[in-house]
Amino acid sequence: MNDRSGRVTVQGLSKRFGAVVAVDGVTFSVEPGVVTGFLGPNGSGKTTTLRMIVGLITPTTGDARVNGVPFAELSDPARVVGAVLEAQGFHPARTARRHLLACAAAIGVPDAAVDHVLGTVGLTADADRGVGGYSLGMRQRLALAVALLGDPQVLILDEPGNGLDPEGIAWLRAFLRAFAAQGRSVLVSSHLLGEVEQTVDHLVVISKGRCMFQGPLAQLRGSRRARVLVRCAAPARLADALARTGVLEIDTLPDGRLGVAGTDPVHVGDVALAAGVAIYGLAEEKIDLEQLFFQLTAGPWRAG
Amino acid sequence: MGRLLRAELRKVSSTKLWWGLLVPAVVLSIIINVFGGLFTAAIPDDGGRLPLLLGSLAYTLGLTAVFAACYGVVATAGEFRHRTVTTTYLLGPRRWQVQLAAMGVSAVVGAGYGAVVALVGVLAGVAGQAGSAFPSVGALVAVTAIGMVVSALWAALGAALGVVVGNQVGGLVGVLVYLLLGELLISALLNSAASVTLQRLTSYLPGNAGDIAIYDIPARVLAGPQIGSRLVETLAGVTAPPPWWGALLVLAVWTAAVGATGWVVGSRRDVT
Ligand SMILES: Nc1ncnc2c1ncn2[C@@H]1O[C@H](COP(=O)(O)OP(=O)(O)OP(=O)(O)O)[C@@H](O)[C@H]1O
Ligand SMILES: [Mg+2]
Repeated sequence: MNDRSGRVTVQGLSKRFGAVVAVDGVTFSVEPGVVTGFLGPNGSGKTTTLRMIVGLITPTTGDARVNGVPFAELSDPARVVGAVLEAQGFHPARTARRHLLACAAAIGVPDAAVDHVLGTVGLTADADRGVGGYSLGMRQRLALAVALLGDPQVLILDEPGNGLDPEGIAWLRAFLRAFAAQGRSVLVSSHLLGEVEQTVDHLVVISKGRCMFQGPLAQLRGSRRARVLVRCAAPARLADALARTGVLEIDTLPDGRLGVAGTDPVHVGDVALAAGVAIYGLAEEKIDLEQLFFQLTAGPWRAG
Repeated sequence: MGRLLRAELRKVSSTKLWWGLLVPAVVLSIIINVFGGLFTAAIPDDGGRLPLLLGSLAYTLGLTAVFAACYGVVATAGEFRHRTVTTTYLLGPRRWQVQLAAMGVSAVVGAGYGAVVALVGVLAGVAGQAGSAFPSVGALVAVTAIGMVVSALWAALGAALGVVVGNQVGGLVGVLVYLLLGELLISALLNSAASVTLQRLTSYLPGNAGDIAIYDIPARVLAGPQIGSRLVETLAGVTAPPPWWGALLVLAVWTAAVGATGWVVGSRRDVT
């Protein structure tokens, strides 16, 4: 049964809501010991996928397993998976402490765990206030406190940065890294690569319900080499001259510039001088992960 | 299952819902039992020898069941309204167990409503109906116990209904319109039918079944074993009512049926 690996596996997962195909054959796995980022633009199916993993939504096809079994078949689900999901609510009149005490009873952990998680997320001072008066960030912290109550092996977080102040975000980053460093698994969704870039080791990128990239963050960085952009008098002659020095990855950009990969501006400048080609502009192209992410996902806002 | 029951109890005790619905039920109980004579005017009382309190108490307990039903609906449908159901199902993914726990705890609350309302009703009756005889303790205990069971069943049924509907306003309006209007209309239609079988069906509607169970013993005490059954027919608007235990059984079957529907509907629902 439960293999205690802390691994989450998603196999050919699809979900159709009437005419909308929210998730379309997604396959990936979340490994223990690393933070896996789950990225995609708005409406790409992140929330739907995460909710399918924890059995809140029944997949149309495919399946999702935690520790080798469907979530609902885990004997102690909340001790295996802690989840912070979008639109997770609280009764406005119930205090945070009482909410957590009810959750602790459901999980079967002693009441002392409540004080512990309240301290962890920094809500101790506000624990006896009705949640109705909580700010967005405070609710997010409370949701995280519930997720941590069972001391789970796997954390699943849907856009946990929403509403957190910069201090809270920095704290969350450090917390997730430390959590994974203990050999546990973290799956965290976001629609901004920049938000999770410093936190995640592994990436799963989805767009329109389909998986576009899956692998280490370093691999995504490496998939696009840095280029030197050159504006010059005679692009064809410069390209020839560069090719003779072994630099072969040269593109012509739409604006007439050359994009030269696998070299640096010094080399390009030297070759141009030797070939007698006048240089009007020389720039290093930044590897913009966010740009790469846009290209991968071609979000709904892209014109054309 | 024990954990889920404890969690459910903690949820109940941490909001004001349970007493928010108990207070109006108690107020109604005081009014009805102080002025009990008005509500039991149908029964000819020769010289204050009849324990009319039994009648007004039964009427009160019948109304209390409506509050119990509302309580049950809000207890479970409120989870959808406040979106706490996501957390509830994350901690208890076997949804039928969660529903069973909610039905069980709601039943306890419903029984509590019955007990408190009966106690207050007796006190109010002693104060207000000094002219009439005091009922026997056995009859009082019997009516109270049956009223508690009816309220417990209605609260559990309401909790199951809340899961079926998954919408607090829809569930509340549905249960109130049905109990206060719908079942009266259906009963009237059935009673006016030519077929005796159809007329008898009135006793098997859930609201009527609860009323029959509650009115059975007071009617016998007040009107005697012969016409007691006729009095129940008049009060509950039914034809050929079963005895109180049969009526309880009918209500229990309805509760189980709605519970089973909640099981099926609830376990298939996508919580988005
Ligand atoms: N209950 C539902 N009924 C109908 N369509 C739905 C439902 N839930 C989600 N969808 C649709 O499924 C698609 C994916 O939605 P989902 O919420 O999973 O996206 P997301 O990646 O989490 O987006 P965001 O970044 O905005 O949170 C969207 O087109 C959405 O409209
Ligand atoms: Mg989302």
